[in-house]
Amino acid sequence: MDCQKIEDERLQGDKVDVLYGEADAAARARLQAHLAVCAACRQEMTGLSRLRADLTRWQLPRRQPAGRGIFLPRWLAVAAALVAGLSLSLGAAGILSVRRALALQEARTEALLAGERQARAALERALAAPGVASGDALPASLLARVDARVDERLRASEERQAQLFDARLARLDARLEAQRRVDLARVAEGLSYLDGQHGQQLARTNELMGYVLSQAAQKR
Amino acid sequence: MGRSDEELVEACRAGESSAFDLLVDRWEGKIRGACWRVLGSEEEARDVAQEAFLKAYRALAGFKKEARFSSWLYQIAINLCRDRLRRRRVRATVSLEELERAGPVLVERAPGAHEALVRQDLASAVRRAIAELSPEQREVLILKEYQELTFPEIAEALCVPVSTVKTRLYRGLVQLRLRLEQEGVGGAAPLPVPAP
Repeated sequence: MDCQKIEDERLQGDKVDVLYGEADAAARARLQAHLAVCAACRQEMTGLSRLRADLTRWQLPRRQPAGRGIFLPRWLAVAAALVAGLSLSLGAAGILSVRRALALQEARTEALLAGERQARAALERALAAPGVASGDALPASLLARVDARVDERLRASEERQAQLFDARLARLDARLEAQRRVDLARVAEGLSYLDGQHGQQLARTNELMGYVLSQAAQKR
Repeated sequence: MGRSDEELVEACRAGESSAFDLLVDRWEGKIRGACWRVLGSEEEARDVAQEAFLKAYRALAGFKKEARFSSWLYQIAINLCRDRLRRRRVRATVSLEELERAGPVLVERAPGAHEALVRQDLASAVRRAIAELSPEQREVLILKEYQELTFPEIAEALCVPVSTVKTRLYRGLVQLRLRLEQEGVGGAAPLPVPAP
């Protein structure tokens, strides 16, 4: 059952006054009169009291005892994290790309070799055919044509593979360059942020020193 | 009994510089705690608290006698926190502390470890739920629940009417209760009983 006065700001004020022990007699009386007839608000007040008990669980962190760990100034820690992140991203991206390119090239070479093995087997089968095996020599012109054809196909295949490899290397270079630029931009942004932070800290330190010196001068 | 804040402020204005040290000793922990809860970073909270005292010292001549020193100090600190949060939103940076907090948590396998884990879960849920409140509701809740300021003090610190403070607090509490109920933690849900 909903309360008709749930949006009434005075009632809301009375509720928090009572919850936090700041209610005067009039506010307490008003709220009691309302709670006597409103089950929804009674339930809500019970829930809010429990909530307040839960809120006490969020405590400030205990201070770490001195001597544990290595203390770094914040700007230095952030710079170290940035450099580590950059190295990792560049290293990981580079290694992954090169490894993938090498694996692809290896697969292509394997396919070429398999093709050549098949061609060689076919030729051997042709040579072993009855007409040839009978001792008749193959015409020299035919052999020359076959050799020329094989050479031509091998050359074409090598050229094609070389072009593909060059193109992939060029794409890899371009990606690495783009990645490098992005990372450099991030580093530059981080460093400018750090510069700003460091400058602010220096300014605050200077102000504090000025304050200390002026106080010392006043004492004298 | 020691001197009141306002007496110390007067003494400081009269040239007794050690009076301000007493004010710093008295309020530094509370101001840092409030900043930590608003910002979520202990290191930033320390910076902001230091900056707040520096600002307060430099503006001490302009401090009005009718105002409470603590409210005025909270006002300065909260404004600095708001600046930080604005800058953080622009940069969307993640602090190292936050990264560390996001890392794995080792739970000691010892008697009471289950209760400790439940407590930790509840504390995390409370922290997350408070972080989801609007900045205005969060500030009021922190100043009331954790800094234990009175409603008029909060109103003074935030430069808003007392009624606004109460409304923001009420709505924040209702939203928190709903959020924790949805997560099934805290008073809204019974604590799980560990297996024997």
